[in-house]
Amino acid sequence: MKPKISEDAFAVLVEQAGLPLTDQQRRTLYEAYGMVEAMLARVTEPLPREAEPALIFVPEVR
Amino acid sequence: MPDFPTIAEASRLIADKKLSPVELTQSCLDRIARYDGVLHSFLLPTPERAMADARAAEARIMAGRSRGPLDGIPIGHKDIYNTAGIRTTGHSKLLENNVPDRDSTVVRKWAEAGTVMLGKLATHEFAMGGPSFDLPWPPARNPWNPAHFTSGSSSGTGAAVTAGLALGGTGSDTGGSIRGPAALCGLAGIKPTYGLCSRAGVLPLSFTLDHTGPLAWTVEDCALLLQAMAGYDPEDPASADRPVPDFTADLDKGVKGLRIGVVRHFFETDHRVGDTVRTQIDRALDIFRDLGAEVRDIALSPLEVWHACGFLILTAESYAIHEPWLKTRFNDYGELFRDRIALGGLIRGSDYVQALRRRRSLCLELKAAMADIDILVSAVQPAEAPPIEDVPKWATMEKPSFTIPFNVTGSPALALCTGFGAGGLPVALQLVGKPFSEAMLFRAGHAYETATEWRRQRPRLATPKAA
Repeated sequence: MKPKISEDAFAVLVEQAGLPLTDQQRRTLYEAYGMVEAMLARVTEPLPREAEPALIFVPEVR
Repeated sequence: MPDFPTIAEASRLIADKKLSPVELTQSCLDRIARYDGVLHSFLLPTPERAMADARAAEARIMAGRSRGPLDGIPIGHKDIYNTAGIRTTGHSKLLENNVPDRDSTVVRKWAEAGTVMLGKLATHEFAMGGPSFDLPWPPARNPWNPAHFTSGSSSGTGAAVTAGLALGGTGSDTGGSIRGPAALCGLAGIKPTYGLCSRAGVLPLSFTLDHTGPLAWTVEDCALLLQAMAGYDPEDPASADRPVPDFTADLDKGVKGLRIGVVRHFFETDHRVGDTVRTQIDRALDIFRDLGAEVRDIALSPLEVWHACGFLILTAESYAIHEPWLKTRFNDYGELFRDRIALGGLIRGSDYVQALRRRRSLCLELKAAMADIDILVSAVQPAEAPPIEDVPKWATMEKPSFTIPFNVTGSPALALCTGFGAGGLPVALQLVGKPFSEAMLFRAGHAYETATEWRRQRPRLATPKAA
């Protein structure tokens, strides 16, 4: 699955994450990133604005 | 003594003083010495500790002070469970010399129940990266055919218990790591409800998806092991503060009147399984019907949606845990773990939150779908175990997982052997319950095992010379 993001833009993502990848390692991750994009599309379909996340903040920490 | 006693069998024999825990433990140690050169299920056998545990158990039992059904039972611990004074590596070079000073809660509880610790079991690196051939120890191999995969990440537990090197063991399950090895090795394995068993002292992979649980030869054995594992632990922030039921009390009640929903589109359309897996699921459903259960199909959101939600949360949380080392010791990880988890560093905060919002909507969807159903049925793995060399690097991403939906929801889920495929390797199905309904899953699983012959077949093991 070819990624929608360009290789150059992907390199920026990697740099922002601070990962010390070689060019070969970055290309390997780039090839897999299309699958991540597809997953992101599956979970980011609009939900009602008030839809809460599964995890809620509990102030009484234990 | 049978060659391969189950925990329940061994426990009865020990209670009747017809089996010595010392002899049973020595038999396991002998089998480890004979067969593990092929299987690589143990990263670190601990024979001296095992014999000391066994002698202590025997003394208690002879003095009439048995600690219960697990007293004197030899087990192993996945090498992500901290063991005081005993190396705990996560099967990784990064923790090659890590020796914890405290037991994890589950290790302590099993020890208090009288179990005999045989050693530390192989895993995929940090419960995620496997099967890997570039780590300090080789990956575990499937006892039914050592050229084949065990699944993971509780790979060593799957191999050791299947081969009768241990009678049971700990696993962990973040996306299917108990149920996968149970399925491909032909065992029973339960991922309990999130919060039922403590995660304290277990190397984390993904805080909101990690579960601890047991693998064993039978459902009854899983129930016995879970009994000694479950319970509130103030050291685990997610631990559920509620009473633990008796998991074996209703084991023989059968399935009459239980309502079973089959998520058929998961394994027939969304990720089509092989013929044997599907056929054996249908035969199991026929057995449940014959035993008096009501069976009908139900529909949920596509498997891809559940998988995407779980995968994104898992990867983002794992990355957060491993980020310091990924930035400074990237090449000390095995290739599979580092590349799979590095992708988590590329997921934005807002995407993680969206996945959590989707997670809540999926939890609500499952709750509604199970309103008038007791148990869901799905697949665990698409087919028999593939050759270990053929497992793709991106296997966990390329096809949607049958198991991760129930990490997303935290539901209890039990993998059961349903027979063998054309290659002679096991196939399985998955039973899923409502939160904290483990006893009902055990009841259904035990009914199925009792009605079928699969628990009577054990693998013929290869020795290093013959392999």
